Amino acid sequence: MTEPHWLSAAEAARAFAARQLSPVELIDALLARIDALQPKLHAFIRLDAEAARAAAAEAAAEIARGRIRGPLHGVPVGVKDIIDVAGLPTTCHSRLRLDHVAAADAAVVARLRQAGAIVLGKLATHEFAIGGPSFDLPFPPARNPWNPEHHPGGSSSGSGAGVAAGLFPVALGTDTGGSVRNPASACGIVGLKPTYGLVSRRGVFPLSFTLDHVGPLTRTVADAALMLDAMAGHDPADPGSAASSARWFGRDLERGARGLRVGFVRHFHEADMPAPAETRAALAEAARVLAAEGAEVRDVTLPGLNEFAGVNRVILTSEAFAIHARWLRERPEEYGALSRRRLLPGAFIAAPDYVAAQRRRAEMIAAVAEVFRDVDVLLCASAMEPASRLDDPAETARTYPRQARTPFNVTGNPAVAMMAGVGASGLPLAVQFVGRWFEEATLLRAAAAFERATPWHRMHPQP
Amino acid sequence: MKPPATEVTVTPELLAALARAAGLDKALARFPEDVAAAAEQALATATAFTHPTAPEAEPWPPMRVPAP
Repeated sequence: MTEPHWLSAAEAARAFAARQLSPVELIDALLARIDALQPKLHAFIRLDAEAARAAAAEAAAEIARGRIRGPLHGVPVGVKDIIDVAGLPTTCHSRLRLDHVAAADAAVVARLRQAGAIVLGKLATHEFAIGGPSFDLPFPPARNPWNPEHHPGGSSSGSGAGVAAGLFPVALGTDTGGSVRNPASACGIVGLKPTYGLVSRRGVFPLSFTLDHVGPLTRTVADAALMLDAMAGHDPADPGSAASSARWFGRDLERGARGLRVGFVRHFHEADMPAPAETRAALAEAARVLAAEGAEVRDVTLPGLNEFAGVNRVILTSEAFAIHARWLRERPEEYGALSRRRLLPGAFIAAPDYVAAQRRRAEMIAAVAEVFRDVDVLLCASAMEPASRLDDPAETARTYPRQARTPFNVTGNPAVAMMAGVGASGLPLAVQFVGRWFEEATLLRAAAAFERATPWHRMHPQP
Repeated sequence: MKPPATEVTVTPELLAALARAAGLDKALARFPEDVAAAAEQALATATAFTHPTAPEAEPWPPMRVPAP
């Protein structure tokens, strides 16, 4: 059997059902690995080992009695620390929130527990999911398990680092401008941003109401489907929640790419933000692989990447300032420098510009929907470059915005980022697939076809 | 159509007035460079996308995807 720490969630659940492994054995193996690697990777803000062991013992006892709560029964999950877990602090990686203890689980955590998952602890993020990577916060930044001198992407940085390093098989992240897909890209795993409104945001500290999404980070596409099955569902307490009955997101994972119509958005990485040769080559290879698997790949054109970024920035900073205004006015010194600098611009965005951004957004949504009349999924870049060194803030500032993820926060389309190669630096390269609203099953079908046809998901870092 | 491309220089006086109007007196006193950079960035960002001009172009609700 695969070493326990590299088991996917689906494999672990099958091993539990077959009595080849118990949830207690898995938790103990993961806790030993966390003990060894946490000092190097800083993925956790707070490890809840005692509660996880107790939950694993209970899960094992239930299995012995023949009771399986759901498809994630006994599977450990890490939770980004802007998402509430009852009884634990939700610090948002900020000294402004050190004393905040969540009274209840976020809706998405409650759903995962109903499916049988075990919460292992709270994970490092950028402060309030916007200010990082930083060294002036109450907790250190997470590090990339492929090379701890480099950042692991963000803002769901502990989620990406921990899944990639085998500290837990699956994790929760959030994505407002790409923050699930960025660490997935930087750490060589799978990150899924679902359709806007498919997963409840109740109990998640907001960054930008109309751009925020909650999504899973996993090592396999099948696990992303498994997690989304557990996470999705209408929540009347979330005003952005969609009345969707979409389910069984893994139903087409085995169908392959034959007959899929794939729109290749070349201009993002060739013209809008020219990417280095290794990223271009990885994207060209992804298109070739899908075509070889039977997909029909054609070039498509969307609005420009820089314009998407501008719309995203105006909306994000305006909404984020509204959320943080009181603290920025009264306690600005308690923010990290990056957070302060990224949140303050919202104070100076004029109301007509915010409305113009939302109006332009509607046009962009329509433009992307028009392209989706002729294709089933899009293929495009995720990050233009691999992750930069943590001790090189200038290079981080240069490369961090060079990405093609924000367009799909603006439009709400579901999107997956996943590993597609290894760069000259030894760090992962990534591609992104994008689907129609609520058609995660087709999106994950394309991602699974790519995964099956390539070796990247079998590569693990050795931190 | 882009918004008017008028060059606006954020003078110290203008910055102080804008920051105080936003209630950021304390931030201005403690972190004047951050506040100045924020004002400059806000002005630059607003011109980074096409501003729709059709009167009927609706922004509300601000995020809506068609029901599945």
